[in-house]
Amino acid sequence: MIPVLEFNISARYGARAVLHGVRGSIAAGEIVSLVGLSGSGKSTLALALLRLLDYRGGSVTGTILLEGRELTTLSSKEIRAIRGRRIGYVPQSPASALNGKLKVRTLLDETWRAHRAGRPDGDFYSGLLERVQLPGTTDFVQRRSGELSTGQGQRLLIALAIMHQPALLLADEPTSALDAITQAAVLRLFEDLNRRLGTAILFISHDLLSVASLSQRVDILHEGRVVESGTPADIFLHPRHPFTRDLVAAMPRDPLPRES
Amino acid sequence: MKSTARKLALAILLAVALCALFAPQIAPFPYDQQFRDAPHAAPGGRFLMGTDDIGRDRLSRLLYATRVSLLLAPSAALVSVLLALLISIPGASRWRASAHAISGLTSICLSLPWLFLFIILRAELPLNTAPLASALLTFGLMGIAGWAWPARVFTASIREIRQSGWILQARAAGLRGWRIALVHGWPHLRQIAAAQFRILVPAYILSEASLGLLGLGVADPLPSWGNLLQELQHPDTVRSNPWVLAPLGLLITVMVCLESLQASGKAAV
Repeated sequence: MIPVLEFNISARYGARAVLHGVRGSIAAGEIVSLVGLSGSGKSTLALALLRLLDYRGGSVTGTILLEGRELTTLSSKEIRAIRGRRIGYVPQSPASALNGKLKVRTLLDETWRAHRAGRPDGDFYSGLLERVQLPGTTDFVQRRSGELSTGQGQRLLIALAIMHQPALLLADEPTSALDAITQAAVLRLFEDLNRRLGTAILFISHDLLSVASLSQRVDILHEGRVVESGTPADIFLHPRHPFTRDLVAAMPRDPLPRES
Repeated sequence: MKSTARKLALAILLAVALCALFAPQIAPFPYDQQFRDAPHAAPGGRFLMGTDDIGRDRLSRLLYATRVSLLLAPSAALVSVLLALLISIPGASRWRASAHAISGLTSICLSLPWLFLFIILRAELPLNTAPLASALLTFGLMGIAGWAWPARVFTASIREIRQSGWILQARAAGLRGWRIALVHGWPHLRQIAAAQFRILVPAYILSEASLGLLGLGVADPLPSWGNLLQELQHPDTVRSNPWVLAPLGLLITVMVCLESLQASGKAAV
């Protein structure tokens, strides 16, 4: 069976190389986490996979196979038809990724029209919003996205990303802007979407602890290279690379203060 | 407190605008009618604000002048903003050559000594240029000359909008470029354009007044705040008839109202 996504890419901003032959592969219905510190090239990788890096002044070389189709050679028109339809993107912070002036309804309509004509059936939006645990009421869709809470905003971004039932969700730090309780709820939501829709998910995160529990595999990204890859158990119990060891050692084991 | 000031400012501006709009109905005389028997008439009786040196009713002239200045300044500001919008789109382009070209053009335009260009232009015009033509020319030229500053603001704003997280999200969702520009970008740009418009209107009212003082603005007999203010060059006139100061008072009142509206508008944002 061909993987949903298979890539081997290098990326640079001008003379500065950021990713050095980063490889990865995600099977249908799989959840893979890519964990790295800030500056390790995580967001660059997300943008590179969507072929959006040139909008940020970067360039990509290598191959990106989505459902067996090479993305790097597609025209901008062809890649547009794939973005949002076959790959959904969940960005980090709703405060910056949602256009606060637009109504929820407008965002839904625009996302729909990007790939389909007209408007969806009457209760399509309410069904979609309920799937991400948002109220599907007319009152809610009339609100401006800038008025939503961070948690609601993140759920809305997820709803927009899954609207066209993509084969792959690319989630770039989707929970780092959220408080601990909302973070847990959003992670459960991803897990639920994966189970019910069979959507493969690539989590890009700095937080090994929060994504490990729902991933089948974890890749560790360090200075633009994947230095280690394995199941969460491998990574936690037998970290091999020095960076992975540091990362695992830095995690809190015992939240309670030690008694002296 | 803020809202009271705002309401007061709005009420005053509305009153001035209505007077300007209905100037032909309100004004007791045509603005160019000369009463040869009554030059320098004192205020009161037939002429509420007196007459000027060739016997024209000051009140009528002030009403018409308000009409000219209040109508043409926003029109000129609109011309500037529209031109600036048009120019800033290639200026913010990702294509470097066009961005550099527009940036250079903007810098040149900002550093031109416009006052001297106005003087040269007026010198080139025949002396018998129709007053209305001179008014349109003055404000038209201001409108055309004034694109550079707002264009610089728009170019920077478009670049900033283009780098925003929500544009990236829209691109990642597969939206078409023109939909992103129209639905996502325009609401933000429109707000910035409106702010630029609000800044330019008072600036143009003042510019016309300054040009008028130099005799470069709207030509006689058509009155404007600028050419009415020219009379302030003769202190004797002010001493004999304080109403000569009325255009200045009205100008200051309108400017203060516009400024306070803007200040409270900014506070509300």
